[in-house]
Amino acid sequence: MYYSKVKNRNRNYFLLICALLSVVSLKAQDDLMEELNDISKAETRFELPAFKAMKIGNLQSTKIAAKGDLYLYVSHRFGSVKDGFETFFGLDNANTNIQLVYSFWDGIQLSASRESLNQTYASAIKIRLAKQSTSFPLNIAFYGTANVNAALEKDRMPDLQFGDRMSYAAQFLISKRISEKFSFLLAPSYVRQNLQDLNEVAAANHNQLLMGFGGRMKVSKRVSINMDYAYNFNRNTHSIYNNPLTIGMDLETGGHVFQLLFTNAQSTNEPGFLSNAEGDWSEGIIFLGFNVVRVF
Amino acid sequence: MKKVLFFLFFSVTISGASQTYFTRTGTTNFKASVTAFEPVEATNKSTTVILKTSTGAIAAQLFITAFQFRVALMQEHFNENYMDSNKYPKAVFRGEIADFNFTEVNTKKEYALSGTLTLRGVKKQINTIATITLDGDKIILSSRFTVAPQDFDIAIPKIVRKKIAETIYITLNYELVEKK
Repeated sequence: MYYSKVKNRNRNYFLLICALLSVVSLKAQDDLMEELNDISKAETRFELPAFKAMKIGNLQSTKIAAKGDLYLYVSHRFGSVKDGFETFFGLDNANTNIQLVYSFWDGIQLSASRESLNQTYASAIKIRLAKQSTSFPLNIAFYGTANVNAALEKDRMPDLQFGDRMSYAAQFLISKRISEKFSFLLAPSYVRQNLQDLNEVAAANHNQLLMGFGGRMKVSKRVSINMDYAYNFNRNTHSIYNNPLTIGMDLETGGHVFQLLFTNAQSTNEPGFLSNAEGDWSEGIIFLGFNVVRVF
Repeated sequence: MKKVLFFLFFSVTISGASQTYFTRTGTTNFKASVTAFEPVEATNKSTTVILKTSTGAIAAQLFITAFQFRVALMQEHFNENYMDSNKYPKAVFRGEIADFNFTEVNTKKEYALSGTLTLRGVKKQINTIATITLDGDKIILSSRFTVAPQDFDIAIPKIVRKKIAETIYITLNYELVEKK
């Protein structure tokens, strides 16, 4: 112990040391904070999530349900607002999607859904590959989904095989929370459409490559403006479909996120809105929609 | 004389080093739960603490994002909506243990602990009691005090006001070892 050592020393030295120590301790007021900083670990600290919900609008975000969390997603896409009073701005023609999202393992979420458009059943998996932190600049996730179109009728198409009902999408989702308010996402995507109507798409393009872009700008702690878009590299110029553009807002209230949006795609499933967005912003054929997210 | 000065310098350096106790894995817990609602509480297990046994001067800091909640979404909202952890990543305490005498800590003893807690850029004076024990070559310091969200300008929206306690209990448990 320090004190017992001192006792054995010459008394004069002891006094001198005391005098010196008092000088040291005066300085120590600020040094203590510096010393504290020096011993603090340079730990990897993770950035807060880039997006509040699993979707930006239509496009998937890098957010993944935490282990054991169950989410219920209810989405609506109404008809064209251009219809006016005839359908009350599209409210009479709603496409409804009900989806359950659950995570059994940290960083992996599974989901199952049913959408009224084309009576589509869908299952999906999203896997976290990297998380933005003090040592890595990006969030990276893989997303894959398989859809079954249950609306196709064998009576009308005798040659119909089960495989014809299938469509798939695979995406890499790469996002960065650039500032506290602004996040950006890139989504290189692949879509497989097993069945296509040549009257609609002009020329068959079963395998499609796309680049998705998404962003959000927080306007307050619980409200943000969101936007997403996807460019399809394989679409025939005579196809009736367009690239999907979605503009919306997030409203977060604790356990819920309300996402209100306008889009030119009716489907909420990736193969649906990435390939077959039937609306057109330039002609005013857009659809009001919302996603309600509830965590259990 | 030169020898004497050298000896003095040397001994001061030695004694300066031996007076410091520290930890990087201190446990800081808070409870803002209201009965009948979902518990609002979290634990930080990477609190850095430094104590000068000669003077009783103490300093501690922790990263707000290192508070672990039972529910991940609650943790996200805590950082994003209440603590502004992007803007204010750390909480810092700087204080003194009154009449601290290192030779006494062989037995469990209570000391007055006072200092300034800085959170979200707001300073608040804290006065509490700390229990200090020597366990082998470790100093064990534990304490408890209360704060209120409005002390640090934390706005709580109306819809969740009933679910977050007005008084928040903060519990500290630090095992300090000598810094060599």
